[in-house]
Order: sequence, then C-alpha cells, then structure tokens
Amino acid sequence: MTVAEQEITDYVARVRAALADLPPGQRDELTEDLADHLTEVAAESEGTLVERLGEPETYAAELRAAAGAAPGSGRNLDQRVASAMARVRGRLRAMDTRLGPPLGYETASDFLRLLRPAWWVLRGYLAAMLVTVVTTGGEFGLLPRFGGELLAGLIMLIGFVLGSIWIGRRSARLTRWPRSVVQVSSAVLVVFALAGLVDAEDGRDNDYYYDQTSVDSQYSQIRDVFVYDGEGRLVENARLFDQNGNPIRLGYHPDCPSPLDVYGQPLLRPYPYCPEQAPFGPRGPGAPLLPASPTTTPNPSSTAGLTGTPMPTATGQPTAGPSAMPSGIPTPTPTR
Amino acid sequence: MDTTQLLKGVLDLAVLAVLREEDGYGYDILRRLREAGLEEVGDASVYGTLRRLFAAGLLTTYVVPSESGPHRKYYSLNAAGRDQLTRSGKLWRSFATTMDSLLDDRGMAA
Repeated sequence: MTVAEQEITDYVARVRAALADLPPGQRDELTEDLADHLTEVAAESEGTLVERLGEPETYAAELRAAAGAAPGSGRNLDQRVASAMARVRGRLRAMDTRLGPPLGYETASDFLRLLRPAWWVLRGYLAAMLVTVVTTGGEFGLLPRFGGELLAGLIMLIGFVLGSIWIGRRSARLTRWPRSVVQVSSAVLVVFALAGLVDAEDGRDNDYYYDQTSVDSQYSQIRDVFVYDGEGRLVENARLFDQNGNPIRLGYHPDCPSPLDVYGQPLLRPYPYCPEQAPFGPRGPGAPLLPASPTTTPNPSSTAGLTGTPMPTATGQPTAGPSAMPSGIPTPTPTR
Repeated sequence: MDTTQLLKGVLDLAVLAVLREEDGYGYDILRRLREAGLEEVGDASVYGTLRRLFAAGLLTTYVVPSESGPHRKYYSLNAAGRDQLTRSGKLWRSFATTMDSLLDDRGMAA
C-alpha cells in the first residue's frame, strides 16, 4: 500500500467514523464512492487530502447536510471511541510517514518490516533462554542450557530459532487464535528480555566480587612476608627460594614506599617489603631483642602488641597466626 | 452572503442541469460544475446532493467498468428528474428575473 493509498484509507475511515450514527445502509451509500473520489482528487492535485478537502469530519458534516441526513448530534460512546481511534491511527500513520525519510525509507514501518527476520531469530533465542532459566534455576550465562547441559541447550536454541522463523514467515496466514497466542508469547518474551537486561545491569556491581573469588588461591590474600628467626627477631632482607632455587614471590608491593631494589631486579626484592608493618616483635636485628623462650609455649594472656599493634590473642595456636609464620616458632613476648 | 450560501439553495438545480446534457459519475459531475463557473462547490456537497436526488427518485444509477481504475457509478436523469429540472429551472428563472429587476430599480449595476 502506498502512502497515497494509506492516506485515502485513513480519510475514508475518519469520514465513516464521523457518520457512525447513521444507519449502516445509509452510511455505506454515502461513502461508497468516496475512496474512488479521493483517488481522483489525489491524482489530480498537489498537497494532502486534508489540505485539498478539509478535515474528514468537516467533509462528513457537509456530506451529511447535502444528503439531507439527520445531523450527527447525539453520538454515543462507541461512535466517539471509534472516531478517536480513527484519529489516533491517522496520527500514527502521519508520524510513520514523517519518520521514514530520515531513515532512508518511505515510511518508518517499511524500515521496521525489514527487521522482522532479525526479531524472529532473537525471539527464538529468548525462548531458549526462558527455558534455560526455568530448567536450571538462577545460574546461567549468555548461552542456553537445557537442565544445565550446554549441548542440549544449543540444540534447543537451533530448534527454537528455526521454529520462530517458521512461525514468523507464516504469521500472515495464521487464523485469529494462533495469531493471538503468538502475539501474547512474543510479549512475554519481550518482558523476559527486559527483566534479563535489568538483571545483567544490576550484576555489574558484583563483578569485582566475582573477580576476587574466581582467582582463589591460598596465597592470594598475602601482601607481605615477615620472617622471624628462632629468637623471635624479625629478619630483614630475607629471600625465599623453593627446592629448585627459584625465588618465591608472594604478595605485591604494598602501599608503603620502600627503598627500591638495590639489585635492580624487582623480582629479587627481599622480604619484608614493609618492615615497619611487622605483626610481631622488634623491627630488626639492631633493635632491642625480646627475651624469647623457644622451648616454652607462649602465654597468650601476657602478650601484647609492642609497637602499638595489638597481638593476636590466639597465639596458643601458631597456625592461627599469619600464614607466613612458620609453625613451631614461638610467639615473641613483649618486654616493655 | 457568499457564493457558498447561494449554492446551497440551487445546487440541486445545478446538478440536474449538468446531468441533462450527459450522464456522469461523481467526480465527473463535480468537474463539470466547476468548469461551468461554480468554483466553490464542495466535493462533499455534490456527493451528498447526488445521494439525496437519487433517494428522491430523480436519478437512476448504473455501474460502468473502467478500463483504468475502479468501476464507476454513473448517474442519469430519469423522467421524474427531467420534470423536476424543468420546474426548478422555471422557478429559478422567474426568481432571478425578480431579483434582477429589484436590483435594477434601485440602481445597482449588474
């Protein structure tokens, strides 16, 4: 249907709506050759029908008066609704026509009609994802799964997409009931898709959390390593090696600025990175030492943080301390 | 008072008159009226008038298949329509004459 034909159809519909109070037979007689007449008018002159003939309601009033039909004063609700609907439809059509050229088409609906196969494919995918949600519960990604099975999900996806295309190509021939079913299920899928998008948007905030747990490693929480000797003294510039002589690197450079590598090799930077953050005991060999008693178990009640850092109270269990603390090393006790 | 007002009273007569020479379909009749000088006649008025004259039994209709486009409903004067045209024509002429002399008597230029 061309734009001109559409305009004529709309005009006729609005004239008929304005004459809705007449007996159907009389209304049909009055408007039977209106479409033909409008075709001739449109072919003959420039401008829209409304510019040429005035508003359809005015045209209807003139037609009614000239034909000597009863004036249309007492219009009931149905007729008012019908004429309002006709007016809305006409306005939508006008917008359709106006939005077309910016898109490069005669009407916007011409453009949208081209996108229909894309919608059929998307509809199949959405249906597969809906089944995924129903069968696997909350946890799912972008690919469909059937009861958690990816392969079955992909087969289902292909089947649904093909089915959706099949339905789409036949939608024009469907009778009323199947058509309604298709429309309602399409609407459900659109709502489902919107809910999924909102859900994915909320999930953005949780990405950081997922990253942290996904690289779960025994040492991932370690930022620095503190080595204590048998006397409970903090060993500075310590280096750790494994059985093959490869340096063990744990943690990363903490926020405290430390004298950078005199060795020129960051990988060989000794522990601890930040001696001043040592959890226990004095700073280094130069500092006053703690009279440690290696053979006795530490007394939890007598321990206290020396440098202002509170001692962990669970020192009776050495493994409960920082993981860099070798078990068997007695916990230093404060002297001051 | 403009032409539109006057037309309301005499459109029946005008339509009957243009149909006297030849049958016609709606748009054709409209065009003939305009060519005859009734520029301001409204599309809907002509269609409505045709409907009313047909309902009054003054016109008959027949459908002619068109070689290009839709089938057209042609209107033609029947005997009653021709009688009506004769009577209305006489009435109009006498009315127009009366109006002319009325205006002439009071020095109005034609």
